[in-house]
Amino acid sequence: METLTELQWIFDVLTGCGLLWLAWSCLSSRNLHRAVVQFVSFGLLMSLAWVRLEAPDIALAEAAIGAGLTGALLMASLARLPLSGSADIRALKSAERIAGARLLQLLRNSLLFAFALFIIYAIFFLPPEFSGLREEVATEIENAGVRNPVTAVLLNFRGYDTFLELLVLLGALFGVRIVGMQPVRTSMTSEPVLNILASLLTPILILVAAYLLWIGTDGAGGAFQAGAVLGAGGVLLLLAGWRPARALMASPFRSLVLLGPLAFVFVAVLPLLSGRALLQYPPDSAGTLIVLLEIAATLSIGLTLCALFLNVSADDGEQP
Amino acid sequence: MAPMILTLPWGVALIVMPVVGALACYLFRRAAKPLGLMTVTVTALSAAGLALRTTRADSYHHAVGGWGAPLGIELYADGLSVLMLVATAIVACAISFYAARFFDDKEQARFWPLWLLLLTAMNALFLSRDLFNMYVALELTGLAAVALTALTGSQDALSGAIRYLLATMLGSLAYLLGVVFIYHGYGTLDLAMLGQLVESNPVTWLALGLVSAGLALKTALFPLHFWLPPAHASATPPVSAALSALVVKTAFYVLLRFWLEIFPSEGAAPAQLFGLLGCAAVFWGGVQALRARRLKLLIAYSTVMQIGYLFIAFPLGILLAWHGALYLLLSHALAKAAMFLAAGNVLYYGGHDRIADLDHVAQRLPLTVAAFALAGVSIMGLPPSGGFVAKWLLIQASLDTGQWWWTVPILAGSLVAAAYVFKVVGFAFTQAEAPQEAKLVPVSMQWTALVLAVAAIALGLIAPWTLTWLDVGDPFSGAVSR
Repeated sequence: METLTELQWIFDVLTGCGLLWLAWSCLSSRNLHRAVVQFVSFGLLMSLAWVRLEAPDIALAEAAIGAGLTGALLMASLARLPLSGSADIRALKSAERIAGARLLQLLRNSLLFAFALFIIYAIFFLPPEFSGLREEVATEIENAGVRNPVTAVLLNFRGYDTFLELLVLLGALFGVRIVGMQPVRTSMTSEPVLNILASLLTPILILVAAYLLWIGTDGAGGAFQAGAVLGAGGVLLLLAGWRPARALMASPFRSLVLLGPLAFVFVAVLPLLSGRALLQYPPDSAGTLIVLLEIAATLSIGLTLCALFLNVSADDGEQP
Repeated sequence: MAPMILTLPWGVALIVMPVVGALACYLFRRAAKPLGLMTVTVTALSAAGLALRTTRADSYHHAVGGWGAPLGIELYADGLSVLMLVATAIVACAISFYAARFFDDKEQARFWPLWLLLLTAMNALFLSRDLFNMYVALELTGLAAVALTALTGSQDALSGAIRYLLATMLGSLAYLLGVVFIYHGYGTLDLAMLGQLVESNPVTWLALGLVSAGLALKTALFPLHFWLPPAHASATPPVSAALSALVVKTAFYVLLRFWLEIFPSEGAAPAQLFGLLGCAAVFWGGVQALRARRLKLLIAYSTVMQIGYLFIAFPLGILLAWHGALYLLLSHALAKAAMFLAAGNVLYYGGHDRIADLDHVAQRLPLTVAAFALAGVSIMGLPPSGGFVAKWLLIQASLDTGQWWWTVPILAGSLVAAAYVFKVVGFAFTQAEAPQEAKLVPVSMQWTALVLAVAAIALGLIAPWTLTWLDVGDPFSGAVSR
């Protein structure tokens, strides 16, 4: 690792301290609304930290999902809480005040503190020169069909994990469908500024998503990031009061949500017929297949994220 | 026929089939029930195929993507995995056919996609040998299980589900942090490779602590069981059966794998701790089950107790003890599913599960009471049930290793279990009026519970074969040579 310039050093220290401070004030905040805002700021600062750690892929994902979409989902949930007027956490905490609770809390906190100290202690025993599987990835990247090692790992070497991750997202959607039944208390009003912003930003976000998707084979980007940006565009539209037509909410919606997982199943099973392994791409068409998979996954991820938001904030009981 | 059994990719089918089923059930929600039943049957056949294959040949390998470890992910099944997969298939089949009658049309459409995703996740977990892949599978298992807990959308179910969600997420994150340290320390995620590389240093201890704590939370080992009773008692009966019989075992399975492959050298002190917590779980779960006023809460606390038994194997650490723990796990899976399904019949018939008023119900549902009693025989550990064989093996192991004191909780636990089983079964012998608004229970629902209970008993009779089969691929060799 090259030596840090003084400026970078100051930046890192500030980022680290800022992260700790934001985390602490988010957790200890008595006001839920403020806690959510601090959570979003934490996510943004965290993505800066990832940039400094030279992990642009994670930085993008953190900004889009950790800060953006999670923040929107938290806000939408907040609007549904019965005490959203005050958004005060004290009412929620009253259950904790039982006899002996303070002693237990002290015990728990000191245990956690000791554990944190041990984590810091153990970090000094990690091997200083860490390469992980970088060498193995570097030797096989020629056969992977893409040049970005992160995409190669996600869509080829460990594509099976990514497939299961897509199912996790699908599971979340199924789950929200079950719990997101009650109508929201505060209805969303459409505002002119928001309308204009949405109509300007949505096309741009779609372009950004397409760019992220395309660049993913060579550099930082890929299906999850692109899907998150696409989802953010959808959330913006929903916030501005746009609602899809009812006819689209049934089968067309469901087919599009399933596009990513279905494409994966198809690509995974096809090699089995010719005696190869699950998800084993033919070497010469690996690149094309990965791009196709990514397009399908992006659309599904974007739509699923939108649907999660729509379900959480559904004001007239729409059910995708 | 023989060569086909050896060459077909059964393990892959175990994962792909339920996925396709889940997607199809979501897409064609009107036909969810027949699609789901078909999928579960085909998946069970694949499990049988894999089982046949491993009895004829050695353990099963499949390098996903053709890369192989450490770069790619390998599917792997030895006797231990196959037994878990087969148990999952049997219980899943029973629960599916039960659920097909239990739920109304609206609930069917919500149940099947999630249930098949849960099945996918559990199969994927039992076939995995890669630490991160196990994390993803655990995550999918947890998420699907939480969503299923909330299926009815009632207040109780929602609050039970959200507690469950927070506990299971915390457990997964602790596990993931442990895996991060292992990967950074040793540069691979493959269990078998790590077994060769791992050495005793603070990084390993930290990983051991994080992984064990996270998984103990997920498998509800005392005192981290707080989330289990509300979740398992408030879910609908078929879902409770799946949660108690299968889902808590997934985390135990991962912990067992870690223990057998990576941490055998870290032995003594943590193993003793596990044993002590196991004893505490046996007593606490037993006492709470005795105190419970609701049938499903009683069964849920009984799960807390039975999980305790599994952890008594850790301080013993010889082959007999692992066999005992595994046998307990299998017979508990069958018996506990039977118990919850029986409780489901009671709920269906009388509309409540208050133990004090069970006499109105018990005499009208003889098959259900029989199922509950037979499952109780296995839970208590009376011969010739699977539970008996398990406890026998555990006691034998504690005498063989000169740690006779572990026999005390094992035997005392059986007495407590007998007490709470008879607390329920006793009602079958008192006279009472039929309840006002009785709803006839479909015969198939009654038989499903009974078949599972009989299977739990029969497990005791086929023990010699099952135990030989468990040793295919020597899953316990790492820990036993210590």
